[in-house]
Amino acid sequence: MTAEHGISRSQPAYPGQVDLRISANDARGRLALPSAPNTFLTDGERESLWLGPDEWLIVTAADRVRETIGHHREALRDTHHSVVDVSANRAVLDLGGDDRLAVLAQGCSIDLDPRVWRPSMCVQTLLAGIPVIIQERDAGTRVFVRPSYLSHLTAWFERVAR
Amino acid sequence: MTSSRLPNGGSEIDRSKPLSFVFDDVEYPAFEGDTLASALLANAVNGGFRSPILGRPRGVMTSGTSEPNAFVEVSAPWFDPIVPATMAKAVDGLRSRSLPGVARLPESPPPERALGHHHAHLDVLVVGGGPAGIRAARRATEEGKRVLLVDEHHWAIRSQVGDVEVLTSAAVTGLYDDGFAVVHVREGGASRLCHVRAREIVLAPGAHERPIAFAGNDRPGVMLAGAAADYLDRFGVRPGERAVIFTTNDSSRAVAAALAAAGADIAAVLDVRDGAAVAETLGEDRVAGVRAADGRTLECDLLCVSGGWNPVIQLWRSVGGTVRYDATLACFLPDEGPPWLSVVGSAAGDGIEPSAAFWFVEGAEYSAHFVDLQRDQTVADVAGAVQRGLRNVEHVKRATYIGTAVDQGRTSGALAAGIVDHLLGTDRGAQGPSNPRPPWEPIPFRVLAGPYGGDLFDPVRTTPIHGWHIEHRAVFENVGQWKRPWYFPAEPGESLEDAVLRECAAARTGVAMMDASTLGKIEVVGADAAVFLDRMYTNAMSTLGVGRIRYGLMLGQDGMAFDDGVAMRLAEDGYLVTTTTGGAARVLDRFEEWLQTEWPDLRVYCTSVTEQWATIAVVGPLTREVLRAAGTDVDISNEAFPFMTWRDGHVAGLPARLARVSFSGELAVEVNVAGTDGLRAWKALFDAGASFGIMPYGTEAMHVLRAEKGFVIVGQDTDGTQTPDDLGMSWIVNTKKGDFIGRRSLHRRDTTRADRKHLVGLLPEEPGSLIAEGAQLVEAAEADAAPPVATIGHVTSSYRSAVLDRTFALALLTGGRSRVGETVVARSVTHDPIPATVTEPVFHDPEGTRRDG
Repeated sequence: MTAEHGISRSQPAYPGQVDLRISANDARGRLALPSAPNTFLTDGERESLWLGPDEWLIVTAADRVRETIGHHREALRDTHHSVVDVSANRAVLDLGGDDRLAVLAQGCSIDLDPRVWRPSMCVQTLLAGIPVIIQERDAGTRVFVRPSYLSHLTAWFERVAR
Repeated sequence: MTSSRLPNGGSEIDRSKPLSFVFDDVEYPAFEGDTLASALLANAVNGGFRSPILGRPRGVMTSGTSEPNAFVEVSAPWFDPIVPATMAKAVDGLRSRSLPGVARLPESPPPERALGHHHAHLDVLVVGGGPAGIRAARRATEEGKRVLLVDEHHWAIRSQVGDVEVLTSAAVTGLYDDGFAVVHVREGGASRLCHVRAREIVLAPGAHERPIAFAGNDRPGVMLAGAAADYLDRFGVRPGERAVIFTTNDSSRAVAAALAAAGADIAAVLDVRDGAAVAETLGEDRVAGVRAADGRTLECDLLCVSGGWNPVIQLWRSVGGTVRYDATLACFLPDEGPPWLSVVGSAAGDGIEPSAAFWFVEGAEYSAHFVDLQRDQTVADVAGAVQRGLRNVEHVKRATYIGTAVDQGRTSGALAAGIVDHLLGTDRGAQGPSNPRPPWEPIPFRVLAGPYGGDLFDPVRTTPIHGWHIEHRAVFENVGQWKRPWYFPAEPGESLEDAVLRECAAARTGVAMMDASTLGKIEVVGADAAVFLDRMYTNAMSTLGVGRIRYGLMLGQDGMAFDDGVAMRLAEDGYLVTTTTGGAARVLDRFEEWLQTEWPDLRVYCTSVTEQWATIAVVGPLTREVLRAAGTDVDISNEAFPFMTWRDGHVAGLPARLARVSFSGELAVEVNVAGTDGLRAWKALFDAGASFGIMPYGTEAMHVLRAEKGFVIVGQDTDGTQTPDDLGMSWIVNTKKGDFIGRRSLHRRDTTRADRKHLVGLLPEEPGSLIAEGAQLVEAAEADAAPPVATIGHVTSSYRSAVLDRTFALALLTGGRSRVGETVVARSVTHDPIPATVTEPVFHDPEGTRRDG
């Protein structure tokens, strides 16, 4: 963990990630997916993040990717869907500390005021000019970022979180 | 030194906290809470400023943001290029100098303020911390709303607002649709830009006092009446010993009373409603008296002027709020506005005293009746513009520049409009003040840039193998936001030319490797994936067998080359397609756009996997030896793994997808591994290749290798105006498979004419001559002709080739395919004319014998 003023930041990690595309109608009754925009569900093993009306990001342990892909393909058999391994497509940074949301608000136009932004929410947005997913978990705030942007984002954190 | 500081009073200053500052090389005392203007007045300094054009002496005229005269540059403890002395907070050790209304940036970088950006979301933003703004903010806060009150002064209003969140020294520089406001906050040494999105915005910015134009109304000692009262009340400063009041309204009565109570003599109150007026001021660099319209001469050192009050309506109007003229108050009031915006307090007209509509004092001539003091523009200048036929205040503004200076015409806008109405004989208020535009106050560019300076100016993207490239001395090239190795000097100082010849020779005769991870990658999945890709590419992807790969070209609807790449068929209902490095996002956007807007019936999903895969191209006759040495479970013999196929397996123990594609014409295998395995796979292949002399190569060698084969790079050899036929790629257009994007445009008369520019090769007659990329092609007869010379084409790519042992180029030449064998001349400002022979654009191994090893 890198500790700055009021914010802690983990080293980049790569949990198992699967991109799921399917219409909400087709998924109903087959998979428990969050239907409210910009929210996620967790069942202990997997978190399902709403990314769009027909897109979810399934996050699981790095060694459960095969199983997760198989589970979803099986559940969605005979529907029009896409299940793609994207475990290396984004890294995650876990942020802790009381100032973490205030720091993010310096580079993100989403409303991250704790009165509005609560655990169970997630959003695709721009942070410091780069595309990210921000997820508010019970344990803290998780930022998903394309690995190619990691050095830019790290430099930004070091510049603004002084 | 005399002092004008009263022994008591001053709501904003803390007399227990003395400090000192420097103005124009002289050190002065002040108190915490002073502005530079109040501190200068307290030290009996009024003057010291100059007007920008005429160089006339000027002094402090206001107590706030409408100041047109007293501008300073602050050089310590931080740097501000230009700020009104009335708005600059006096701090200990501050250094300032007077500016004639125009700022200059210093030669050397100034001491930097800490810069920041911040986003805030609110229920209610209140602009202005006067009584009305505070009331609105308190009420909204009590209702449990998220409220922010901003005020452009540094004055301590926190104590009056209870739980309301307050930003002082915070100016709304721009207001935009749907409650978006940009707030510039100066907090001592820090400067922040706050982007505010509010459901509701309450404007309570108050009213600005209006001056009157008369002869010498710019002389130091002329002050707006309300400002004189401010200096007494807020700062305990008496701005003069003996005052004349010149007014159109009753608001000045209280000013006269306050001045008298503070011990000043009131020489006279001249009220235009009584027929009285100031004809001119007397004195040299300071007001020593006035001549009244009735001929009296009155001695004074302070002339307090009030021409009425203008509600501050600039932000209101900037988002479409309308105004109406109020004849009783002689000012414009807000009328209709957007539903999320409201105005309260004196900005809405509340509490404004009725005023005579009086703009300027009649005189024999008007060349010293100043309207815009910061632009040195007078009633004579306005009259001149009107006489020249400009009948609209917007035109007069453009002719005189009134209202365009740093102060944004806060004291001059309504005055100029009133004078134009008067001169034209139109109704009062017929013309509103000219349109306000952001920014409300100047914002330094470095504040707009905020933290995004230097390395953060534009995001930089790097591949998983980037660290290795740095360790191996790579010189990088920017491709979009990506940093790609351009070439790898073998030892420090090896030139680009030498390195590229060496890297190319390795790829042609031994083995070389390159990091191609930046290529865009999209997984296209669904029962209609084949149908969809047939419509996106000029050639058929539906006929591609599973396990096979095909090169594809995409066109714009105009029929011009848009992007290219390869498609791997992963399954009956799945493809992985690659795009150019720079084109990844726009290709995915295009896929989604067509799927979502035109063909929602197609069952296709697209997923970006650009960074899921690291891609390593191993190139050269020894490719198979390297792969075997690294260890692979894929049968990589040509029979089992032919050109343009892919196989899943392992390389160096890592899961890998191998692809037989070649952008060089040599035997080549692309090793795709998970991005997280990219560095390990690269190192394993490099180590395995060491005994075969493997060399890493960069984008420059890649460009040379593909150009030797005549492969185009979309974006290098094309500029959005090349059809496939122009590029000699008619073979890739499959007109039998059905419609595809751009197909219709290929049959337009313009896209089928014979004299379009064609892609051709060029061989300079002198094999060592290197033509500059971008050089223009002219007829041989015009090799040395004086410009203007008709150009018949231009060079798109030009290199030295190791395998050809000479230079060569690719070019777009008018009717080029019919000119093969002819000589043209390349002309550039960077070299002498170079004659070259036109050739087919394939220079090396046209039969393709080398791709299988």
